[in-house]
Amino acid sequence: MSIISVSGLKKTFDGAVPVEALKGLDFAIEEGEFLAIMGPSGSGKSTLLHMLALLDDPTSGAIIVDGTDISRLSSSQKTSFRLNKLGYVFQEYALLPELNALENVYLPLMMLGATVKGYEKAAREMLETVGLGKRSNHLISQMSGGEQQRVAIARALVNKSKILFADEPCANLDTRNSEIVMRLLRQLCEEFKQTIIMVTHESEHRQHADRILWIKDGLLDREEKLR
Amino acid sequence: MQLNIKDIWNDLRVSLFLVYKAITRGNKFTLILTILVTTLAFINIIFISSIMNGAISKAYQQAKENYVSNIVVLPGIDEKYISQVSQLKTQINTLPGVISCCSRYAAQGVLRYDPDKDGNDVKEKAWNIKSINPEEEVKVTNLQNYIVEGRYLEETDRDQILLGREISGGYGASFELSSLKGARAGEEITVIYGNGVKRTYTIKGIYNTMFPLADLNVYVTEKEMESVLQLHNRASEILVKTDASVPEKVYIERLRQMGIENEQINIWFEFIGYISGLTQTFDTIKGIITFIGLLVAGITIFIVIFIATVNRRRQIGILKAIGMKERIIIMSYIFQAVFYALFGVTAGLLIVNFLLVPYFMRHPFPMPIGLVSLALVNRDLAVSVFSMILVSIVAGFIPSWMVTRQNIIKAIWG
Repeated sequence: MSIISVSGLKKTFDGAVPVEALKGLDFAIEEGEFLAIMGPSGSGKSTLLHMLALLDDPTSGAIIVDGTDISRLSSSQKTSFRLNKLGYVFQEYALLPELNALENVYLPLMMLGATVKGYEKAAREMLETVGLGKRSNHLISQMSGGEQQRVAIARALVNKSKILFADEPCANLDTRNSEIVMRLLRQLCEEFKQTIIMVTHESEHRQHADRILWIKDGLLDREEKLR
Repeated sequence: MQLNIKDIWNDLRVSLFLVYKAITRGNKFTLILTILVTTLAFINIIFISSIMNGAISKAYQQAKENYVSNIVVLPGIDEKYISQVSQLKTQINTLPGVISCCSRYAAQGVLRYDPDKDGNDVKEKAWNIKSINPEEEVKVTNLQNYIVEGRYLEETDRDQILLGREISGGYGASFELSSLKGARAGEEITVIYGNGVKRTYTIKGIYNTMFPLADLNVYVTEKEMESVLQLHNRASEILVKTDASVPEKVYIERLRQMGIENEQINIWFEFIGYISGLTQTFDTIKGIITFIGLLVAGITIFIVIFIATVNRRRQIGILKAIGMKERIIIMSYIFQAVFYALFGVTAGLLIVNFLLVPYFMRHPFPMPIGLVSLALVNRDLAVSVFSMILVSIVAGFIPSWMVTRQNIIKAIWG
């Protein structure tokens, strides 16, 4: 069953010289699938991820996410949709420095109106899942890059997101930490049937995905099924 | 409806959580500096307005204590004097709330001062000479407390005169050029009254209230004036001192009710002339300075919040990306701005109340209307505090609204 289906997706960035970043994409993503979007720099893979994660609007085309045509959503509905159904892991950790690991993780649950007891328990469990149970009270500045990225993953999943988006999640990590993060994503996919859509340009990460969409010049170049 | 209230409450909870963490775990130096600047901006507003209020209040106090007291009864229109004055005063003194009253005569005359008694360098000044009954007067005005040279008049004095510093000259008189330019206690002065009577007096004392209107008076005793004017039991004016807890208008009404119908009854404010214009000007200046002070405080908070939001533009984009409502982000910055304002206001009030006010009570400013200290007026304070909070809300809202309006992608990646 498709959790995301995309048809005729185009994105043009306005400017003195308009840039056609996506030139018409059609594809679907299955629930519980670990999809990697790969391609050379400037191919449009990050732009595609932004469209799928409701961070930017397409110029034309349709995106159906979990049965909802996102073009019909207002700005506030999109915000609510992101909070309730999507999780996003950024390239540069993107955590709040004033909050410790636990607080960063339970913030989305707070926004959803959970009780103190409820969100603290869920956030601790999620930190245990990403292997940071003992680092929950540490400030972000006291954690390594790999740990910070795992906190970001915990934050993205704590609200039981249907889809986890990861934009170059290992771009700023060393090899060891990259491997930890990638294994964690794979584990989440296998154990919790978590749908993961990841943009990466690092070929060594492809082995963790179920399928790879290769994007080139704003078009779907080819598909590669690994599992 | 219930859901909306729950949503708003939850948004408030998240905003306050973010503010609390930003303040407790953010940069302490920036926090202290911002609060310090806000405190100074607030002190600036209330300090200037307190000086103005102090000056206005001093002028009013001087007018009531040393010039015309609270209420002035004047002869009826077309009448030169109030008649049956003793009976009238007895009647007035029976009125509840009246502390005391005193009567005065006033007569035109020319003061002639010949310092060397040789006919050379004679100073002359046409002026209104008033009489006082010293025993009654001390219950109504405080002139006896401001004698800077010589002594106050006594009831039996007949050839003695009391001069204000604006008449004698010296003691920092505001109208030195038109004064007698340095007449001293013990010296002689000749008064030629409007009815032609000529009397020579010894200057018994010189008083200096520092209030020009009060210091522009010349007094002889009531008995002396009655002998000059050949009058008895009359007065040109009756000053009435009343209890300050009840407005003068109430007493005026009561005086009318008790049968004082022919005489004109006036409130002290009608006698202060240019001083009332001055207080209006002070009020205008106070308003302008308060407005500028609020603008400075508002801009300061605006800059702090603006820098904070610009520096956190990426973070705001990320918060929006993970599903945070724009209103939560805006509210958190508004709360932060209000926190700065509240802390600044509290610190400002403490500094003013416990440092500046006590200091200026001990070391008042010498002003042309007397020694002025700070006067905190509750209404002005409330307006300043309310305005500071209002300004901080605006200063917190605008920059955060500007940044949250940005596209998420632009906010995160520029």
